[in-house]
Amino acid sequence: MKRVVVEKKILERNDESAKKIREILKNKGVFALNFMASPGAGKTTIIEKTIEALKDNYRISYIDGDLDTDRDASRIKKLGIDVVQINTSGACHLDADMVLKALKQVSLDCDILIIENVGNLVCPATFDVGANKNVVILSVPEGDDKVKKYPVMFNVADVVLLNKIDLLKFLDFDVEKVKKELKEINPDADFIEVSAKEGYGLDRWFEYLKNLIANSSLL
Amino acid sequence: MHEGAIAESIVDILKQVMDDNNLKRIVRVRLKIGKMSGVMIDALLFALEALRSEEDVISQTAFDIVETDVKAKCNICGEFYEYSDVSEVVMLCKKCGMPLDIIEGKEMEIVDVEGE
Repeated sequence: MKRVVVEKKILERNDESAKKIREILKNKGVFALNFMASPGAGKTTIIEKTIEALKDNYRISYIDGDLDTDRDASRIKKLGIDVVQINTSGACHLDADMVLKALKQVSLDCDILIIENVGNLVCPATFDVGANKNVVILSVPEGDDKVKKYPVMFNVADVVLLNKIDLLKFLDFDVEKVKKELKEINPDADFIEVSAKEGYGLDRWFEYLKNLIANSSLL
Repeated sequence: MHEGAIAESIVDILKQVMDDNNLKRIVRVRLKIGKMSGVMIDALLFALEALRSEEDVISQTAFDIVETDVKAKCNICGEFYEYSDVSEVVMLCKKCGMPLDIIEGKEMEIVDVEGE
């Protein structure tokens, strides 16, 4: 019997592909965002509003990961931007190889690449897809206990958008508790309260995003 | 359940290890999985079991999983923290209030294999 020391990362291949994605995007001067959230948290609506607000000043491309159907992709297509749909055929997350493949189809003559991950607060957190920033959306109806319940996801967030803030008056949801628990699991994450439906807080999010992009191009 | 994808990655690496080391079979594999890696051990073992019938490379393989606690360190004052329960993890130093760096607990690694 022979013992072989391996000491290899299980997701080494994914990490290598994510690195390739970063190189491609850097060469093209593209800033990529990876949107992650539960199903129904409002990813597509926030993305729609973001594109509407920024598309006159920024060229935007969009990659959508969905288990099945192209519903999200067709919503975004209506806004007149370049869209590529990845059907993960059952997989609960996007991985770097899927995104790398999609990069061959999507227009990279853009300033911002939006990647909408599969709706799921667990699996996408484990797979680096080569984005510059992770945007995690939590929505008020999901409850204020989610940060502690999904620490791996909130730990990888660069910014957390708390959506559906207009529903606070109907539900028992403690915003301060969410902020405190987010600070504990991820002291560097930024936090913005929004209502994609009513428009509350969206300007702050757009300004935040513009600053991120401006700062990244200085690097 | 992303553990299916993780199990497939493990099998791919094991095939490579077999080729590189002229092994005919792998009897034991040691995996190191951090408690903050986002992997559920039971789900991973289930996924590996499900792959066993279709992947010859793991047909007779036992998997030992070492689960690692979350370890974090303050870069300012050097204070060290260890958490065995992920829901207890606080990434702020209790002494000086600064953000901590995770030094262990996020990894997913194949440590070594035994084969012939």
